[in-house]
Formats: sequence, structure tokens, C-alpha cells
Amino acid sequence: MLKIQHERILTKVRKKVGYLTALLIFLLLTLGPFLWTFILSVTPEYAMLEKTPGLLPETVTFDNYRELLTADTPRGGLLITGIGNAIKAVCAALTLGIPVSMLTAYTLSRMEFCGRRLIRNLLLITMVIPVMATIIPLYRLFVARQWLNDVFWLSMVYVSSYLPLTTWLMSNYFATFPKELEEAARIDGCGLLSSFLRIILPASYPIILSAALIMFLNTWSQFQIPLILASSLETKPVAIVVSEFMTKDSIQYGLTAAAGIIAVFPPALAALVFRRFLISGMMNGSVKG
Amino acid sequence: MNILRKKLLPYLLLTPMILVMGVLVFYPITATFSYSLKRWKLTSPGDIHFIGLQNYSSILESDSFWYSFQNTLFILTAVVLLTSVVGFLTSIFLHIEVKWSGILLAIAMLPWALPPYVNGILWKFVFSSGYGFLNKVVIGLGLAGQPVEWLNSRRALLLIVSLVVSWRSIPFTALVCLAGRQSIPGGLYEAARIDGGNRYTIFRRITLPLMLPFVAIGITSASVTAINVFDEIIALSGYNDLGANLLVESYLTTFSFLDFGKGSALTYLVILFGTVLGGFYLRSMNKEVDY
Amino acid sequence: MKRKLISTLLVLSMTAAVAAGCGGKDASDTDGNKNPSAEGTTSKDNSGGEGDHITFMAPDWAIPTEDQLEAFTKETGIKVTVNEVGWDDIRDKMVTASAGGQAVADVVEVDWSWVGEFYAADWLAPMEVSDEMKEDMPTLETFTKGGHVLAIPYANDYRLSYYNTKQYEDAGITGEPRTWDEVYTNCKTLKEKGVCEYPFALPLNAEEKTSTYLMWLAYTMNGVVFNEDGTLNRDSVLAALKYEENLIKDELVDPADKTSSGMDTYKRILSGSANFLTGPTSFVSKSTSEEDCSVIGQIEPILVPGKDAKSDVTMALPEALGVTKFSKNKDAAREFIKWYTSSEMQEALNKSNTAIPTRNSVLKKLIDNGSIQNAGAMLEQAERIASPFPGGIPSYYAEMSHTMYNAIHKMALGELTAEEAYAEMDARIAELSFEEAYE
Repeated sequence: MLKIQHERILTKVRKKVGYLTALLIFLLLTLGPFLWTFILSVTPEYAMLEKTPGLLPETVTFDNYRELLTADTPRGGLLITGIGNAIKAVCAALTLGIPVSMLTAYTLSRMEFCGRRLIRNLLLITMVIPVMATIIPLYRLFVARQWLNDVFWLSMVYVSSYLPLTTWLMSNYFATFPKELEEAARIDGCGLLSSFLRIILPASYPIILSAALIMFLNTWSQFQIPLILASSLETKPVAIVVSEFMTKDSIQYGLTAAAGIIAVFPPALAALVFRRFLISGMMNGSVKG
Repeated sequence: MNILRKKLLPYLLLTPMILVMGVLVFYPITATFSYSLKRWKLTSPGDIHFIGLQNYSSILESDSFWYSFQNTLFILTAVVLLTSVVGFLTSIFLHIEVKWSGILLAIAMLPWALPPYVNGILWKFVFSSGYGFLNKVVIGLGLAGQPVEWLNSRRALLLIVSLVVSWRSIPFTALVCLAGRQSIPGGLYEAARIDGGNRYTIFRRITLPLMLPFVAIGITSASVTAINVFDEIIALSGYNDLGANLLVESYLTTFSFLDFGKGSALTYLVILFGTVLGGFYLRSMNKEVDY
Repeated sequence: MKRKLISTLLVLSMTAAVAAGCGGKDASDTDGNKNPSAEGTTSKDNSGGEGDHITFMAPDWAIPTEDQLEAFTKETGIKVTVNEVGWDDIRDKMVTASAGGQAVADVVEVDWSWVGEFYAADWLAPMEVSDEMKEDMPTLETFTKGGHVLAIPYANDYRLSYYNTKQYEDAGITGEPRTWDEVYTNCKTLKEKGVCEYPFALPLNAEEKTSTYLMWLAYTMNGVVFNEDGTLNRDSVLAALKYEENLIKDELVDPADKTSSGMDTYKRILSGSANFLTGPTSFVSKSTSEEDCSVIGQIEPILVPGKDAKSDVTMALPEALGVTKFSKNKDAAREFIKWYTSSEMQEALNKSNTAIPTRNSVLKKLIDNGSIQNAGAMLEQAERIASPFPGGIPSYYAEMSHTMYNAIHKMALGELTAEEAYAEMDARIAELSFEEAYE
């Protein structure tokens, strides 16, 4: 009896130790680089190249943060505007992207028609197209139509690059709803619209939220597209601003590091607040009933 | 009327998507294809003309193309392996329920939000030979007397690039796998346990096969990311020939050497490669899971 | 049916917009479903406005203060919209826009290394320059191609040498180094006496600075880099390469220089980790700034060494402003550049942006009145600026530099010997110059 109990405690301890080790490795690998970047961001510039094995700087300075978080300084102003611009682009991309993805996913997963497979495959295959393959003609198109530095059209380009993924995730989700549900609603006299609104929409908010979060995170990290299509002060996102702290003769590691840390905050916050929906949306609908 | 309506409706619903994709993806890639058939060097603006497949043949004959292609393949393999294995493991870890599960999940997502270029800079801080984190640790622990030069050989450089890219692409895979793991009905496990299955067989018979489709999603997205690696390479090693992949070569040809024709042909070869790979994945994507 | 569909779409997008509004937390304060195109409708890249309104695209260090711009507008009635773009990205944007026949801006930054290709591609409108100005601005030569001045330099950057005087004292070396051989022997002494482990700062990473270092090393050592036909001068370049190879072999160069960015290599002198540097003029001010330098007072700017005595020449890597060919406001744009590069503005920009004047007269004034401190040989060196490119900057400069730095980098890693590295770059450069000549 005692022995069994003893063994149980032992496995419990072992499990706990195993978990804690995994936790430690996980935190180290995920947060480590951020932590190191943070340390660099508070290290004075001249101490950065010193060849000491010490990990922590002798003097700590928060000047970089002070400069970047004050809107009056040129760099601070740039960074703050950049964050604002990125948020604008995220909003626009979501407003445009979610409805289109839903419509497409709904149609592709729940309707039978000629060429369904072909359209679906054509859409999915565009995932492999690199930005570089489209950027020059896109630029010319944007010039001809005067779309440069326009958040709406910039976001449209983002949407076109997320559509395959979000459509695919959403249609996987929609596909798991039993057909009878919708049919029953249809018999009750609901039109396509109201059956969509009453049956599909309420059940799919998790996938909508996870698609939204995916779009948010992806938009946040866009670089090449806005660089070519929207790099005016009014539209350039924070990713470009950060990279500009590091060009030619003015490499300022501390400042770049600090800017990188600040720039990660908004998406981190979003991920934290909406973490619950991150997964639930991608789980198969059927299982959850 | 009703029948016609029913037949047309799907296409009407798809119109927004078709418009968006048509104008912003299919039109540009068609245009790029037409560029790739031209001799078009920006430094000789008076001499732009159709040359058929000459750009392609001169690319395929050059050593640098095959060198970069090897690099692309290396990065692809390494990133896919790393991302799927580590992503899978992370999802198993995140599935364990503890008080702070949600926060751990949010932390796990952090690298995803990093712009690739910033990601590259972040890791340059770790691997650079002078003030790099790793060197400080290695020297501090007495493992080496001299700073190690991490980015100095082709293999090491490519491995580090793959590592850095995987770090950014693991979150998505982990997320998808976690969703897959949580979709598995708990009843299945109970039944298996009653049948006397041990942990290993349960994992092999239930967890792994039911999660595979989700891992496949992860692999697909990792492959796409791996073929399109660009910013990280530049941030880590500049326009060094050692680590150049197809995309770096295409960028150099187009934007640095100003040969639009050849550069377009190079991006087309990247697309072609991706499509072959993608066609393979499409099959697995179209499958559905039964529990 | 149609109406129903439209309403379906409308409702759909509205519901989704609401969902999106919650999705992106920060979204809620900006807007939910209003058409976002209302934001940022002004398309500045497209330039070509009416009247006297120009756009100006440049990196952060070239942007004038608001007061300066206002004064310009008051004086001339020309309004200026500034588009600040990272230096690395300016060329990409210029290329993309010009390939589409568009002006990326009316006035653009033109780096010295871009002149050849911009000229060949015909993207810049020529400038008018007075003889007096040519006299005063030696770097104008770099921006002249085919008899046309394509851009006016505003920021000077020519190679100067710097050495750490305290380390020389500690090692018992007297007098500044006058020849490259002296630099070499002194570096060896410094290393042997344990004063400085890696005294020579030499960029070896695969990047632009590595190519330019080789160019000015060969240029100051032997007075020549390229032959008349654009090919490499074998004796001179090979000698310079061997010099670099020996520095690497004798471990006078930090192994980290092989992979760290060229700028970091230069900066080694600011922490005392290197003793000798031939590098940017900006290090004159950096060596007196507490923020950048931990060995203030020990670094002295001197004339670049040569073969038997100090070199008669030095290479300049200036930046200029030019007018894009596709600009619709060329006159206003030229007026702006004229104002920007005037003596008064160069003085003002030195104060506000620490830009180093391209007019030697202004440079002299600033050194004389103490605005530039610790100048050392700065002015004397400025008078020795010359261009190592006999036919101007070639149109294939980017590819040439790419070949050069990769060959040097491989040599640094021990994969190639100096001869092999030379053969590799020589072959490609010969090909490129041949192509340019016969196309």
C-alpha cells in the first residue's frame, strides 16, 4: 500500500520535473532572443562592441526608449506614426479580408458547382507566389490607377496574399457543419441569407476570430509590399521604420533593438487578449458539436 | 429562373475573390511572365525586345543558379523538418493544461508577429562574432577561448538561417497542431485506455494519425515560408554568395544588377518550383479527417 | 435578385466589420467599417503636382529642419514635401518607379556608386554648374558622366586615416605612420607588445565597404585601380589584395571583421579595439562624441598613407541630390538643389545634420571657426580628393562590387588565395566592361 503510494508520488514528481524542464526550454527558446534584444536596447552604444564575456552591461540606459516613446523626437515620432499606420493597415485588411474570405470559403465548402475544385486549387496554389514575382507589375498598376500610398489598396494586396490560407481554414471549418442544419432552416422558409446569418455565422465566430488574428499578425510583419507600394510617412508601417534605424552609416543597434521590442507589443497584446480564439477557430467544428 | 439562379449564385458569391485575385495576383504574374521572355536591362533602355526562353536557358546554364538552388533546397528541408517536429512538440506541450496555459500560448505566438527582417536582426545579435550572445556564453563557460565565427561556412550559415526562419514559422504550426490535438474527442482516449492501450500505442494509434492532417497544414505553410526566405538571409549575412538562395539571386539580378528580364525569369523558376511542391500538398489538403 | 445579393453582401461585410472591430482590439478606436481609403489618399510618390510643389526623397541625415524648409518656401514660393526613406531602400524605389516611367520624387538622393547605372538608364536630368562651383567642389567629378553633371554632392565623405596615439605611446612607437608598410610594421609591434590584439580595422564581410576598401587601398598605395578600358590594374590591385591577405594571416585583423558589418569594423577604433582605420570622414566627429567613443582624445585623423610617403590622392564616397528625368517640376527641383547645396546651407546643415560640406571653402571656414573639432588632416586631405574611375563610375558598378566583395570575403575565409581572388574578380570585371563597351 505504502509502496504504491510512494510510487505514485514519484511519478507525480517525475511528471512535474519533466513539465518544468519543458517549460524552461520553451521559455528560454521563445523569450531568450527577445530578452537579449532587450538587454542590448539598454546597453550604451559604445559598450556594445566591447569584448567582455559578461552578459549584462555595466551601465544601463533607457535613453533609447525615452527617445522612441516621445512623439516630439524625430525618431519617436516616426515610430509612433509607424505603429499607427500598421494598425490602420490591420483594420483595413480585416474589414476587407474577413468578408471576402467568408464568402469564398462558404461558397467553396457548401455549394456544388462546376469548376469548384479548379477554383479552389487555383486559389490555394497562389500561396507559393513570392512577392517579388508580382511587385513590379503591381507597382505599375498602382501608378496607373493612382493607388500608391493608399491604405485601402495596400490592404487589398495583403488580402490577396492571405485569402488562400484564411479561405482554406474557414472552409475546413464550414465543411464540418451538418448539411441538414441549413436545409432545415431553408424548409422553415429562411432564404440563403438568413440561413447563413442564423446558422452559419453564430457558429463560426471562433474561426472568424482566429482568421482575424492570423491576418493581424501577418499584416504586422509586412515589409516588402509597403516598402514599394506605400512608403510615404502617412502609410509606412512600423516594420519599415525599424529597418530604417539600421542603414548605411548609421547602424544603431541599441535603438533598433529598442524599436523592435516596442513594435512587438501591439501584436503581443492582441495575442494575449484573444488567445482563447486562436485555437478554437481552427478546431474541427463537428467535434465541438 | 430558379435553376439559373441556383447555378449562377456560387459564381456571384465568388466574384469578390475572383476580382481581388485576378487583379492583384493573376494579372501581375502574367505580366512578370511576359517580362521574363524579354531582354530588358534597365541600363540599356534602348534595347528591350522579345527573346523567347533565352533568359531561362542562360539561367539554367549558370553555376550560380544551381548553387542557389541547392541552398534553397537545404533551407527548405531543414525548415520543414524543424518546424514540423518542434511545432508538433510545442503543441503537445501547450496542450497540457495549467493555470497559465493561455499566457504560454500567447508567448508562443510572439515570434510570429516579427517582421522577417527584424527577426534576422534579432538573431544577428545572438550569432554575431563579436558581441553576440552565443559567443559571450561560449567564452564565459570556457568552451572556447576565442570568439567563434558562426556565420563563416556555407553549411553553418544555411543551418542558422533555417533555424532563424523556423523560429518564426513554428508558432503557426504549433497553433494548428494544437487545434488538431484539441479536436480529438476525449472519448477516443478513454476507449483506448479501457482496451488496455499503453501510452505509446495510444500516441501512435490515436494522437499521431489524427494530428497528421494538421501537421500537413504546418508543413505546407513552412514550405512556402522556406522557399520565400529573403530578409533573414540579408540581415544575417548580407549579399554574401555563400548563403544566397534563389530569391536572393533573383533580387540581386533584378534590383541590383538591373536585369529585369532575367530577374523575372528567376522568380518564375521559384514559382514553378513552389507549384510542383504545392501540387503535391494540394492533394493532402483536399483530404478530410474522420474520427 | 440582384438587389438581394447586394444587400447580402452589404450585411455580410458589415457584420464582419463589426467582428473585425473586436478582433483587432486597437482597431476599435480608429474605425470599424468606414472606407479606409479616406486615409492617406494623397499619393505623393506620383509627384507631378501643379505649380511649384516638389517632392524630395532622401535618407534621414539629409532631411533639412522644418525651419530651413519654411525659409526656402518663403524665399522661392516652392513647397517641398519630404519623403524620408531608408538609404538602402531608396535605390530599390528609384528602380521600381523609373522602370515604370515614373518619378519616384522630383529630387532624389544619388549615391556616388549609383551614378553609372542611373546615367546608363537615363533616369536623371542633367544639372547646370558654374566653373567656380566645380573648382570648390572636387567631388563633382564623381557625378559627372559623359560630360554631364548628373547630381550635386551635398555630403562629403572621403577616406581619412585615424590612429590611436596613446597605443602608439604605450608601444613606444613615435610619429604617425606615413606609408602602408609602416602601418603594417607598427601594427605588428602593437600586437607583439600586447598593446592591441587586432590593430587593423579591415572590413571583410560580403558587403559594399569591403570592395571600396580594396579600391582605395590600391588607389592610395599605387595611384591606380582601373585601366582606361575599365578592367582592373593587375599590379596595383593584386598588391593591395596581398597586403590584406597578409594582415589576415598575421592576425592583425579581428576574425570578427570577416562577418560583422563594415560599420562595426570601423567602430572598433572608437573602443580602442583597433588602432588604425582608414574610413569615413564622419569618424572625426564620432571620435569626439561621448556617446560613440570610449577613447576620446586618443584618436587622431591623419592623411592616408601611401607607398613611399603620404598618398597624393584619396577616394571620396559622397552623396548627392539629383533631379529625376520623369519629374514634371524640373526647374523648381533644380532651384531646390541649388539652395540646398549653397554655401550658407552647407554651413547650416553641418550644424543641424552634422553633414560634412562638399565645398572646400565651407569646410575650411568650419574648421577655422571651430565648428568641426579634432579635424587633424581633414582639410588637407579634402584637397587630395580624386576619382579612381577613369571613365566615371561604370554602369555595372553594383555587379562589379558584388563580385569584388565576394571574392575578398572568400579570401578572408581562407577559401581563395589573393591570386585566386584576383583572378575571380578580374575575369568578371573584364566581362562586364567588355559588355558595356560593345553593347
